[in-house]
Amino acid sequence: MPSRAERITDILLAILAGLVFIVLYAPLLISTLFSIVEVKRGQIQWETATLVWYGRLWENQSILDAIRSTLAVGVISVTLAAVLAVILALYVEWEGAIGRRLIELVVYLPFLLPPIVTGLALLVFFSGLGLDRNLLTVTIGHTIFVLAVLYRLVLTRLQTLPKSLVEASADLGASRWQTLRHVLWPHLRSAIATGAILAFTLSFDETLITVFLAGDQMTLPLRLWAMMRVGFTAEINALVTIVLVISIGLTILVGMRLQSDEVREE
Amino acid sequence: MVSLPERIILFMLVAAGPFLLIVVPIGAFLAMSFFRMENQQIVHDLSLANYAAFFSSWTYVKTLLLTLWLCAEVTLIGLLIGYPIAYFIWRRSGRIRTILLLLFVLPLFMSYIVKIFTMRSILGLNGFLNQILVAVGILSEPSQVFLYNQNAILFTMAVIFLPFVILPIYLSLERIPRSLVQASADLGADIGTTFWHVILPLSAPGTIAGALFAFVLALGDFITPQMVGGANGFTFGRVIWSQFGLAYNWPFGAALGTVLLAVALLAIVLGGLAAQRQKV
Repeated sequence: MPSRAERITDILLAILAGLVFIVLYAPLLISTLFSIVEVKRGQIQWETATLVWYGRLWENQSILDAIRSTLAVGVISVTLAAVLAVILALYVEWEGAIGRRLIELVVYLPFLLPPIVTGLALLVFFSGLGLDRNLLTVTIGHTIFVLAVLYRLVLTRLQTLPKSLVEASADLGASRWQTLRHVLWPHLRSAIATGAILAFTLSFDETLITVFLAGDQMTLPLRLWAMMRVGFTAEINALVTIVLVISIGLTILVGMRLQSDEVREE
Repeated sequence: MVSLPERIILFMLVAAGPFLLIVVPIGAFLAMSFFRMENQQIVHDLSLANYAAFFSSWTYVKTLLLTLWLCAEVTLIGLLIGYPIAYFIWRRSGRIRTILLLLFVLPLFMSYIVKIFTMRSILGLNGFLNQILVAVGILSEPSQVFLYNQNAILFTMAVIFLPFVILPIYLSLERIPRSLVQASADLGADIGTTFWHVILPLSAPGTIAGALFAFVLALGDFITPQMVGGANGFTFGRVIWSQFGLAYNWPFGAALGTVLLAVALLAIVLGGLAAQRQKV
């Protein structure tokens, strides 16, 4: 039976959690509200409620371009990072590997360093190579940024597989490639998918590195930033709501997948 | 068995990509900090002049110190609010615990830019905070004191980075065996004693990790200070950014960036050592 002190502590903690919850979710609450209704002198004008701003978004060419850029950068960088992550994880788990710790350190660096350092390092690097800044440089930046996440998930999955699985496959005369294709791949697939969704979520929102690498190109966060500097309109709030709902949806998907992995392992 | 030369070649093949795209850029960045500007051109002479210029200028050093203080405050607020919330989530069970955890981690992935602008619309002259305070009668008219100063930066960063503090603390709480808490209770310790002598020390590694996240993220942030700090809100990250923008002095900016990197690495190493000591 919980003591009186425990109950009071729990009530106080619940109040704190509630307050923090409201502050953390203010972006979603505010943008959703203002995308639908007008507010005049602190009064919500319910009669102005409309979803017309969500439709208008699809007529705004600069927004559509930014969405297209963000999707292209996200899909390509996640794909590249996934391929790299699988190769690196397989190598690190291979018994003949050298420099394991060095590889791990390098892979985790862009994730550990302050984003301003990663962004500036790439900026200096690309300008030294004489490369113009555009979506390609953004894609490379995102690739190394999300690599750590994919690598971690793939490596963890590889390490949970029993060694006997690979040994049995070899005993039965399978080549390394056949073992990878028929024994490891079915196990890795779901870890890669989870990592890819998580990586895409990060890429979708990445701003602090992107701002150094985009040149005159615009990803969605940069477009939002530029739009919001001018001032808030119902249209911007509609776009913000959509962006937040996509991020939240993807994160819940990752959470559910990680949860079901845990259940399976138990 | 694969021979050593073959192993080295394979290593180079596998590591080539990450090294080219991660190690080389960081190397180029560090090298840049030893160059200098002349007539708007980067001159590739190696010298420590940029570092000397930084350490001999009280304005820059002061900005760094104030930024470190700001980051320490962000970290402290993060821990003071983040720890109780992680603890609250950990004390629930089953589905409620999972859902609560998800709810408090989700904001991590919500648009960073949107979060900053939301804080602006809360703190601004016509913002929600002013409207509430005026409506309740605490203020007679809307105040400008909430936005465009150091406190606005502090408050915004504390909110944005809070989920980064909650998650690692929760994860380390989760690793504490329930039997230990039970044993402590069986031996007659009340909830307070158990918390101070069992739970708090055992969750120290996660607490340190959360503190590091908040500190390093706040240290490198340059958009929050610009958007909510206004003219009074100068931070070290913002100074570095301006060197790569309007001020256009990449070598000096790179030197300042290297100082920031060194401080971040120092914090990570110190945090790592502290976490290690806790484990023993």
